[in-house]
Amino acid sequence: MIKFIFKAILRDKNRSILPVMVVAIGVFLTIALSGYLTGMLGDIVDQTARFQTGHVKVMSRAYAQNIDQLPNDLALLGIDKVHQELENDFPDYTWVNRINFGGIIDAPGSNDKSKGQGPAMGMAIELFSESSGEVGRLNLTNSLIDGKVPEKSGEVLIGYEFAKKLKVKVGDELTYMGNTMNGSMTFAKFIVSGTVRFGVASMDKGTIIIDFTDAQQILDMANGAGEILGFYKDEVFIQEQTEQMCDVFNAKYAQDPDEFAPIMKALGEQNSMGTYLNLVNSVSSMFVIVFIMVMSVVLWNTGLIGGLRRYQEFGIRLGLGEAKGHIYKTMIYEAVIIGTIGSIIGTALGIGVTLLMQKYGIDISGMMKDATMMMPTMLKSKFSLHLLYIGFIPGLFAMVIGNMLSGIGIYKRETATLFKELEV
Amino acid sequence: MQDKIIVTENLVKRYPVGDGQFTALSNINLTFEKGEFSGVIGPSGSGKTTLLNIIGSLDSPTEGVVNVMGHNISTLTHKEAAQLRNMHIGFIFQVYNLLPVYTVFENVEFALILQKRNATERKKEVMQALEWVGLENMANKKPSKLSGGEGQRVAIARAMVKRPQLVLADEPTANLDAKNAHSILQTMKKLNQELNTTFLFSTHDQKVMEYLNRLITLEDGKVASDILKVGNGSPTEEKNAQIKTAQ
Repeated sequence: MIKFIFKAILRDKNRSILPVMVVAIGVFLTIALSGYLTGMLGDIVDQTARFQTGHVKVMSRAYAQNIDQLPNDLALLGIDKVHQELENDFPDYTWVNRINFGGIIDAPGSNDKSKGQGPAMGMAIELFSESSGEVGRLNLTNSLIDGKVPEKSGEVLIGYEFAKKLKVKVGDELTYMGNTMNGSMTFAKFIVSGTVRFGVASMDKGTIIIDFTDAQQILDMANGAGEILGFYKDEVFIQEQTEQMCDVFNAKYAQDPDEFAPIMKALGEQNSMGTYLNLVNSVSSMFVIVFIMVMSVVLWNTGLIGGLRRYQEFGIRLGLGEAKGHIYKTMIYEAVIIGTIGSIIGTALGIGVTLLMQKYGIDISGMMKDATMMMPTMLKSKFSLHLLYIGFIPGLFAMVIGNMLSGIGIYKRETATLFKELEV
Repeated sequence: MQDKIIVTENLVKRYPVGDGQFTALSNINLTFEKGEFSGVIGPSGSGKTTLLNIIGSLDSPTEGVVNVMGHNISTLTHKEAAQLRNMHIGFIFQVYNLLPVYTVFENVEFALILQKRNATERKKEVMQALEWVGLENMANKKPSKLSGGEGQRVAIARAMVKRPQLVLADEPTANLDAKNAHSILQTMKKLNQELNTTFLFSTHDQKVMEYLNRLITLEDGKVASDILKVGNGSPTEEKNAQIKTAQ
């Protein structure tokens, strides 16, 4: 019987091509859009993790309470000991030191006049430690517009828009003016080693990057760091795992009354990222539910039209002695076959487009010129294993449900009435 | 002709029409024996098709008893009725009603697939049935490539391939020219005689009536006459018709 159904599907284009196309298009759209959403939303999470939050972050309690002000006067001290503890307790993570600081940058020109000046947002990272992986994590080498990543103390990397504004180029000198963690003024001279495009408009326009040890020295933060970021070694963020880690780490210091005792926060607990992560999950789920509903209605209608066209066939089959239930069952088999073919085609197309979008992406830097939000300027899709079933299963179900609904018409009509359709 | 294959007792069929009811069949008492070549005749709306549908287990009586091959139609479930049609009843329709996506062979084979017969047996039986109707060379053609006469022959082969005890033919010659109609009727008559299959027609075609052994006339849902002919029913041998029953 299955062979017989297959023959009919292959030969009757109205029965196969239209539903297969509808399913394939629906599945394709689901996968392509889901991949795009995952990519876009994931990029924002990933970008935030790499530049700001890590997968987890360790700070002093006081620093954590005033984190919006980047209060280096409340920084974590005695970080050697904290590192030791983190590396022992959580060996699957890479732990890196960061200091975020602010200040004024002056680009000295000729005749003791400045070429340019401006407020700077400084990031101090472990540039010279290969094990930290920071250069790769922030994709600095590939993001260079000019010059190179700092290789020795006293060198600075600067956002390319910022460099334009200051009218500096590689090899030029910059003066940093700010204050130490103790509140006294500090000055430091740096040589521009390179200009970089972060891909985040706000950073391109005002960020400098120096080595962590340089920052410790300038800001008077010996054995101190504003933040210690932890990254899972595969660089994949796993929300539940980070939450468990935080519980374990924080439980150790729960009884410590020191306001400078370390505290660990997961990505989801920082920068309102928890809400954002929940939103990402909700949007994905809603997307799938809406798809199933819309596709079911579309395929129900397709099934109804097909069913009406096939009343003659049903009448003949009843006359030949096929039971209504068997006709209904064969309709479902057909739906499974057509749904599977359509879903395979749609999945293949959807994943193909997702992979292309993952590789090439869409450059929106032109639109982000004046943006001050931390947003990626390259929109890319992201392939993940769930794309293999996120469209396939709903595609199959929608087709089957659509046919089940339209097939109910067979039961509602009297056998003799269906048979009478033969006279039409 | 010994076994009673169809017995109707006080058969009544009513359909709801608006607030009232329309009586399509009224107090029908008929008996058909195995091997009969009979026909129900009468004007449109006289109840011919309704009677055939009830005998074919596609519909059920409102009152009375219809017994087909020992099965009381009123008490059959949908599944049992389908099983009865599948195993024992063949249908031939006015407009052939072949499944257009299948070949001639597959159209005939479908009836045997429903009986879950194996492929070797199916092939043998289908070719035999196509031979009966002279279409063994057209097995691979699609219905759209057939003439009207050929299409109806395929329909006969499809009805006969499972060697049913009863064939119900609803206006089988209505869309055929005289030559094809005679040819089809001769084929059916031959199968009736060779396989002892009971044929029951619904018709108002004079050509069909000439071939029938028994003519039952329905008027307004009632049996107006029931005439049994003497002879084998072919036009040349039709003679000495006598009234067997009239209600």
